Amino acid sequence: MRIGLVCPYSFDVPGGVQFHVRDLAEHFLRQGHVVSVLAPADEDTPLPDYVVSCGRSVPVRYNGSVARLNFGPMTSARVSRWLDEGSFDVVHVHEPLTPSISVLALRASTAPVVATFHTSNLRSRALQAAYPLIHPLIERILGRIAVSEDARRTLTSHIGGDAVVIPNGVDTGFFRTAEARREWQGADEAPTLAFVGRIEEPRKGLPVLAAAMPAILARHPRTRLFVAGPGDAETAVELLAPAVREATSFLGMVSDEDKAALLASVSAYVAPHTGGESFGIVLVEAMAAGAPVAASDLPAFLRVLGPGPAGVTFTNEDPADLARVLGDLLDDRVLREELSAFGAQRALDFDWSTVAEEIMAVYETVVDAARAVEAIEAATDPASGPGPGAGFAHFLRRRIGRGEA
Amino acid sequence: MTDTGMILVLVLVVLVLIAWQLTYNASRLDRLHTRVEGALSALDAQLVRRAEATLELANSGELDPASSLLLASAASESLERQTDHALADDLLDGLSFAGREAVESDLSEALGVALTPSVVAELRDRDGVGAAALTRVVAAGRRVQLARRFHNNLALDARRVRRKRAVRWFRLAGHATMPQTVEFDDALPPTLES
Repeated sequence: MRIGLVCPYSFDVPGGVQFHVRDLAEHFLRQGHVVSVLAPADEDTPLPDYVVSCGRSVPVRYNGSVARLNFGPMTSARVSRWLDEGSFDVVHVHEPLTPSISVLALRASTAPVVATFHTSNLRSRALQAAYPLIHPLIERILGRIAVSEDARRTLTSHIGGDAVVIPNGVDTGFFRTAEARREWQGADEAPTLAFVGRIEEPRKGLPVLAAAMPAILARHPRTRLFVAGPGDAETAVELLAPAVREATSFLGMVSDEDKAALLASVSAYVAPHTGGESFGIVLVEAMAAGAPVAASDLPAFLRVLGPGPAGVTFTNEDPADLARVLGDLLDDRVLREELSAFGAQRALDFDWSTVAEEIMAVYETVVDAARAVEAIEAATDPASGPGPGAGFAHFLRRRIGRGEA
Repeated sequence: MTDTGMILVLVLVVLVLIAWQLTYNASRLDRLHTRVEGALSALDAQLVRRAEATLELANSGELDPASSLLLASAASESLERQTDHALADDLLDGLSFAGREAVESDLSEALGVALTPSVVAELRDRDGVGAAALTRVVAAGRRVQLARRFHNNLALDARRVRRKRAVRWFRLAGHATMPQTVEFDDALPPTLES
């Protein structure tokens, strides 16, 4: 299949949407599809050869944060040229409601369009102001995907209609094959815990874990906690009780390899996030690496953990409950082994191979629909005789031609 | 220029604007109707595939006779309704799902009843004709879910445009029937839903 992917955000800076597009493109390329990615990028940025740059992006404030996007007549022409040269079977745009090449491609594409909605915090006022603009564009989308239940709900309440939820993919193989390291490995009497995430971001929940640590240490005195993530460790240390301070090591920002090894080593991975997570990607990574997971009961986390026992949960923002649940988990080696095995299995549901297969099913469905559209248009073509069906519209079409279709 | 001249020009400009707005809405609506119909025939194609795969599964000889009979009857009902009301025949009135919802819900339900976790595990262990047919049932079932949602989105889009005042007053939709969303139970058996 000839697939055109449109990424609205600049490839110069890393980000969730960019990684998603890159991983998806590489997966389809490996399967033998023809894939081209259109994205903004500076001229001197080295790009993979499947990426076509549509020029330098400018930082703009949109939807409450600054994003590097690009638009304008020059860009519009580049988008059209890319579409022409690609002659794609399907065009897949990401974040179609950003003022970016995604809307431009959505408007200009003659190939069937699939759109993926990533964000779960759309500002409704901005959208309502642009309502008459947005709807004719939305109507061009033949297949809608949301990356999470939250993104889907956002879409449903602001735009109407529905979308199929296909989560972000994770390269679970990378985490599955990670080797444990001695210095991080726990034992029954000296367990180890991992926290992954930015230190001063309260929504990542380090304060909740810090508040629970005294109780955890009271039950398992030789527990050690490894905190991996960027941020000011010195300030964080001052907030800890002295006993907790001794039990805690700050690793700073770690490489992907180190993160995988840490998750593969520890007795338990703790996810005390208090909100703002629309998809618990780090949970999937921990499960793939084989870490028993203890997570707060955020809806997004509960969905990732699924129906089976892939992890234990505690009441969100409740240090006492965290300490109790984690203490029970550290006491129960059989349960940890169960969680580890079940979690590794569950993680496969979020692997790129599974996710890409679902996205391919979406492509095939819209390509079928687009073929049917062509057949209908051929059947109602003015040359083969008028049909009474669409009435005035057909009358107009006979008078004024096909317009922009 | 005289006052009457000015007024004439203004009136002309307004008329041209109105005409442009009307043709724009008419062709937008026409394209939407076509997209809805395209999506509906994609849904139809997947439903046929699902029913055919179910029939294969029923005839594989790897299910107990009662389950086989249940599945075969539900699947053939679906195929029969499909040939009775081939969507292509309705092309001129605009496509409609022609009341096939109940039949398709029945097929989903039959699959849910027949394909219990143990039956699915047994089919997969044997890895024969039955397992191959099961894979096709699941693949078609997933695509039915996709196609139905995508169709319904477009149908809702079309209905919203048709509610617009300009569209109603000038009857821009002509005789095209009002697109309807298609509602039936398309859930896969719980063991097969990932």
